[in-house]
Order: sequence, then C-alpha cells, then structure tokens
Amino acid sequence: MFRHTPLRVAALALLAVAGIGYAFGASYFGLEILTEIAILAILVLALDMVAGFGGMVSLAHGALAGVGAYGYAMLQAQAGVAPPIALLGAIGLTGALAWAIGAVCARSHGIYFIMATLAFGQMAYSYIFETPVFGGDDGLGGISRLDLSVLGLDLMDSRNFALFCLAMVALAYAACAFVLRSGLGRSLSGVHESEQRMRALGLTVWRVKAHVFGLSGMIAGLSGALAAQHIMYVSPGLLSWTVSGEALVVVILGGLGTLVGPLVGAAFFVVLKHEVGAITPYWHLVTGLVLIAVVMSRANGIFGALEAWVGRRRAARQPQPLAKEVPGNA
Amino acid sequence: MLETRNLDKSFGAIHVTRDVSLKLERGERRVILGPNGAGKTTLFNQLTGEIAPSSGRIILDGADVTALPVAQRARAGLSRSYQKNTLFDGLSVADNLGLAAMVAQGRGMGLGRDGLLHPEVRETVEEVAAQLRLSDHLDARVSEISYGMRRQLEVGVALATRPKVILMDEPTSGVGPEMAKGFHDLLAALPRDLTLLIIEHDIDLAFAVADTITVLNYGEVVFDGLPEAARGSSLLKEIYLGSWEDA
Amino acid sequence: MTHDAGFWVLQALNALQLSMLLFLLSVGLTVIFGLMHFVNLAHGALYALGAYVAASVAGAWGGFWVGLIVAPIAVAAMGVVLYGGLIRRMRRSGPMAQVLVTFGLIFALLDLTRIIWGDVALASDVPALLEGQVRLLGVDYPAYRLFVIGLGLAVLAVLAFVLGRTQIGAMIRAGVDNDAMAACLGIDVERLFFVVFCVGCALAGLAGAVAAPLLSVTPDMGLQILIPVLIVIVIGGLGSLKGAIAGALIYGVVQTFGAVLAPQLSSVLIYALLALVLVTRPTGLFPAKG
Repeated sequence: MFRHTPLRVAALALLAVAGIGYAFGASYFGLEILTEIAILAILVLALDMVAGFGGMVSLAHGALAGVGAYGYAMLQAQAGVAPPIALLGAIGLTGALAWAIGAVCARSHGIYFIMATLAFGQMAYSYIFETPVFGGDDGLGGISRLDLSVLGLDLMDSRNFALFCLAMVALAYAACAFVLRSGLGRSLSGVHESEQRMRALGLTVWRVKAHVFGLSGMIAGLSGALAAQHIMYVSPGLLSWTVSGEALVVVILGGLGTLVGPLVGAAFFVVLKHEVGAITPYWHLVTGLVLIAVVMSRANGIFGALEAWVGRRRAARQPQPLAKEVPGNA
Repeated sequence: MLETRNLDKSFGAIHVTRDVSLKLERGERRVILGPNGAGKTTLFNQLTGEIAPSSGRIILDGADVTALPVAQRARAGLSRSYQKNTLFDGLSVADNLGLAAMVAQGRGMGLGRDGLLHPEVRETVEEVAAQLRLSDHLDARVSEISYGMRRQLEVGVALATRPKVILMDEPTSGVGPEMAKGFHDLLAALPRDLTLLIIEHDIDLAFAVADTITVLNYGEVVFDGLPEAARGSSLLKEIYLGSWEDA
Repeated sequence: MTHDAGFWVLQALNALQLSMLLFLLSVGLTVIFGLMHFVNLAHGALYALGAYVAASVAGAWGGFWVGLIVAPIAVAAMGVVLYGGLIRRMRRSGPMAQVLVTFGLIFALLDLTRIIWGDVALASDVPALLEGQVRLLGVDYPAYRLFVIGLGLAVLAVLAFVLGRTQIGAMIRAGVDNDAMAACLGIDVERLFFVVFCVGCALAGLAGAVAAPLLSVTPDMGLQILIPVLIVIVIGGLGSLKGAIAGALIYGVVQTFGAVLAPQLSSVLIYALLALVLVTRPTGLFPAKG
C-alpha cells in the first residue's frame, strides 16, 4: 500500500536537490550521465508501479519504452508532426499497447506472467526489426527535441535538456504516486495481496491490472520518447529484452514497491556502470555480483534496507508500539 | 433473498452437491450443518460463482445470477467469508476493511483522490471495526493480530461491503469456545434485515444463532426446517453421533 | 524456391536438428523447475560455458570428442559450485529472488567467459569422422547435423528410460508431483535436487559442446539461446519432459518453416504462438501437475 513516509519525502527532497544542483555544476559528460539517469528513472518508476505494487513483474517494459521512442521518431521525424503532439502521440500509443498486453496477460501469474510479457516485448522487437519502414537494423535518425523556446529554453543545450528530463522525472513520479493513491491504485495493492478476495468483494480484477499496466506503459513511453530525443536516433536495440532485465535489476537494487527506491537505484546503476566501466570493461561482472549480493542479503534493495534500518531504530527508541502489539498476540 | 433450484455439481461420477434447493427469506439466519465432505463449502463456492454448478439455478434478490462472474454477484449484494483466512496479510486492519468498503462503494476503479480516504469509506471502516471490537487494532498489520481477531476480521471484510447476504464459512473454526460464543453474540447483534447463511461445526453455537437449519450429507439436503424440529431428527443424530447427545 | 519433396525433407531435418539442440537445453531447465520450482536463467550461460570449454579442449588437446566429454563434466562441476554457493541458499526464497539471482549470474558468467576467452569468436571444427554429407531420403545432409539429431534422440531415450523405468526416475516424478509428499515418503529431496541440478547442468554443457561447431562461440551465445529455451519450456509446460519435447519440436518447426515459407513473419510467429498458448492454456500444453 503506497504511502509517503517522512523518510520518503526527505529522500525525494534530497534527490531533487542533488539532481538540480548537479545539473548546474556538471560538465558536459556529467550532464549526459544525469540525463541517462533521468530517462532510466522514468522507466523504472513505470516498472515499479506494476511490479512493486501489483506483482506484475514485466519483461516488456524495455520494449514499451522502445515503442515510445519509435512512436516519437515516426511521428516527429518521418511524418513531420509537431514535437509536442508527437510526444503525446507516442505516450498514447505506448499506453494503448500496454493496456492490451496487460489485459491479455492478466490471467497469468508468476513466471508465466514474466514469460508472457517477455513474449510480447520480443514480438514488438522483432516487428520493428523486420519491418522496413522502421529502418531495420540501421534505425531512424533525424529526430528533433521539443522546442521550448517560448519558455526561453533551448533543449539542444545539454544542461537545459538534463533539467527538462529531471522535470519529467518529477512529473512521472507525481503521476505514479497519484495513480497508486487513487482507488485504482488501492485496488491494485489489494489484488497484489489477494486476487481471490478482491474478486469476492466485487472487483473486476483483470480490468484493474490492464488499466494500471496501460498507465505504466504511458510512463514507459515517455521515457522512450525522451531517450529518442536525447540521442536523436532510435535503433531496435532499445527494445531488447535485456533493457527490461536491466530495468528490473534497477528496481530491485533500489527497492521494489517503494517508488523512491528505484530512483536511487537508477542513479546508483548508471553511476556504477560508468565508474566501473572507466576502470574495467567488465562492468557486467560487478553489476551481477552486486545484484546477487543485494538479493541474497534479503533486504529490499538500497532504499528498502534504509527504511528497515530507520524502522528498527525508531522501534528501539520508543518501546510503546511494541507494547501495543501484546493484546493482539494474546 | 437467496434461492437455489436443483443445484448439482459433479466431478465425473461423484456428486459433490446433489439437487440442492434452498430458499432464504430476507433477514433469515440459516445455519448449514453437516459432516466433513458433505459439500458445504462447495455449495458456497457455487453460490459465489467461484465454481460453476453442473446444473441448477441460483437466484439472488429475484435475479438469476447462475451465469454471472464472482465480482458481479458480489456487486449485487452477495458477500462471503472464507474458512481459511483470505485476508490482505501485508496490510493493516483498517486497510483490509477499507479496501472492502472502497470496492463495494464503486470507488475501486477511480483515478481521483485516495480511494481509502473517502469519508464514506472511513465511516464504514470505523463502524465495522466497532461492530467487531477491532477499533483498537485498526493500525496493526494482519500479521500482528491474534488468530481469533483474524477470524473476526475475515467476517468484517465481508461486512464492510454492506451486503444483502453474507455467506460465512465456519467463522469460528479454530478459535476457543469463549471467543466463539462472543462471536455469535456479535452475529446476533447484526442488523435484522441482513440475510446470513452460516456453515458451523458446533451444534450448540449453531442453535444459538439459527432461525432455520439445513443439514447436508453427501451433497444432499437431508433436513431443512426449524431448529426445534432438527433437535428431534434422527438423521442428525446419526450424522453427528456423540456430539449430539449433550445438546 | 522449389517446393519438391527434397525441400520438405531438408527443412524437416533442419527443424529436427534445431529441436534437438533446444531439447538438450530445455529438458534440464524444465526438470529443475518441476522439481525445485527454480527458474535458472543462467542455464544459457552454462551452455555458453560448455561451448567454450569444448572449443578450447578441442583446439588444445584431443579434438572434438574429448571436448564433447570434458564439457559436460566441467559444466556439471560449475553446477556443483553454483549449487553449494547460491542455489541451495536460495531454495526457500521466492521465485522473484531466484530469477534475480540467476539474472545476476548471467551478467557475472558473461564477463567471466570474456575475461577467460576474450571477445573474439572462437571457431570449432566438425570432427573428421562427421565431415561431409550423407545421402538420406533423397537429399544430401551434413553428417554432423544428423549426429546432433541422433544424439538428441539418444538423450531423449535415456531420459525417458531413467524417468519412466528406474527408481530414481520414480523419485523424481514423485518430487515433481509433490515434493512435500515425496519427502514424507523418505526420499532425500535435497540430494535429489542436487543430482538433478548437476545432470541439468551437464546436459547444458553437452548442448554447448554440440553447438560449438554449428555456431560461432561468442560470450553472448548464452543470452541468445535463453529466450528460445524459455519459450520451449513455457509452451510445453514448466516441469514436464513431454512438454520439453513438444515445445522443442514446435519451436524447431515454426522457426525453420517460418523462415523459409513466410520470412517477413517468421520472427514474430513464434512469439505470437507463445502468446496464444499462454492466453488459452496459461500453464502450457503439458503442465507437470494436473
């Protein structure tokens, strides 16, 4: 059940200050990393919404982001649609596709759900790879960024674009929090706990799953459309299942079902990748070992461990809540 | 209020329920008795739609619901509790009741404000918690409260949907006699227009709440009538043997 | 394109050869899942390891045949290490944690093979005995590919015999059906897991050794094969030997004939089929449990 604890609010404030502060202090290379973090953060927010709060562990989210990227590229660069409309179009298209995937996969659970989403993700990958209009292996270029000159912002400037992406992270976070706190989001938490009971209470379970998956897909689409604008080029590799796998790793590293954790995870993952990548070409080995260590430690990622630690300290300082449990156990 | 006509469920040659016809009036409190394996829970599952009957009809509040899915029957006013706790274990008592009230009030698909913070939802949560003496434990997680309280919450979740009919599957199974007695007092205090169909093992407790008694054996209704008449029934004696003598 | 009898025979043999390779990989994975409810995503990485070991051994020492024997043993040894270090400790964790740990293993093993063998693709030769073509049913077919088909069928026969007719097979079937019950019957389930896990790893190594001369040996070959293998076992039904055979045959036929008959659709076809199976039969065609 999603709730804002003081710790989460504090972590969000800290992340916001750090992100904006870094954006004004960083070099070109630092800004590129910041933008990469922001785009990944939006994708993992979308994934945490379905996986962390609905138990829908999706391996289609990388492909969904890719659909958003190609949607933007096709609309903006190929069809010549104005960038803001193209952005909305890409988000809508991805959301519709995600809704359909969610509706079809709603009956599957556990490993079968993972496989079903993987299948749909790979279908999208293969379709885009094989269809000539999408440029095949070569991808599509000539993509423009949004024109925000009315606000006095030139998004071709990497600092401005990084700040724009940070604003989009804030927007995506607000959207996720909004959905998770709504009746729909609360229903999703109930479905995660007991599908059978929610059905017996009168809830049409598949619809809840499909709706949230669709909304999550829209956010993934935003992430993809931003990625397309960032590198101004799209290729089928964006839809590869390993992107979904990495996104899942980031969610787990940060803390599944905390929404704040995945933001921390995204920053940690991208920085780790670049720092380790600078020392050795074998950054996958380090990432793999870190992932194994995190999962085997049984903590819920970095932020989950922090929350558990803070919770223990508070319990140690105030014995009252423990005493309150006693009649419950009697 | 709730009626079954010739309800039949068979797996191959085995009839789990056979030709079950029941009729519950509004506000009636009926207890279903019967030995293990008599088909009581299977009957409940057919009533709620969790399994489909092989033949026969189910009528809820004048409408044929035989073909309706679980959720739609629930929305039509049919609620249930389970023999094995089916709660939202990771959530608090308040959230358990809140989800039930929220879904039943049609706020489970909304995208507006917090579904659990709606005044109507909170009001229901507080009322049901007070009814079941859970008010002091609203913030506790399900995993933190006692087993007896979880059994009560199991019924509370069903109550929070403000149903017309509640099916309770052995609401006091596994709790001590004191708590079971207290629980039946709680049931007696429920609004009189609420229709209750209760599976109960303990015959004394059954007679304490029942307006009418139905006895199932091998999936068939072998007795259907007033508790006084059931007391004299030799069939019941046969089925329950020793435990019956003390009543 | 001539759609004569020879064409069909050739494609059918190609389909069968692909199926057998996938079968060698999927059978270990699916039985491990059936018995332990453990999805080992690193199974593909073990296959890649098998291919590397086989190619290196073949190059340095005794040629293909020595590699074919050494690779399964080496990968089984790796399996022992993994089981002792990771898998045993993850037995009581949820499926999500297991998937993630083995996902981490993919990353780690991927780079380990790169560190040991480098990024350059390793070539491995077909053994002299199996060079050339064999005339079969009116077509010339590479002898080595026939060998792969034969090996797959032989492994299938051995497994069917062990699972169906021996005591350990009966124990495995009991474990797949209900591991708690099997433990009650006095079966040492933990040891059974260990044995099955190692045999599964050895089969992955064998598949890698067999695949080495067919494909180029690269670090990411494990990643490339993982998705087809997962599709095979999910279509077939997790945990069942019958499912692994059916899934492998379906995949081989759809992929091979799809590529020649409807090239523009072929890549989407298998995923569409998987989606269809999952929607209509959410637990696969031959689920291990009724």
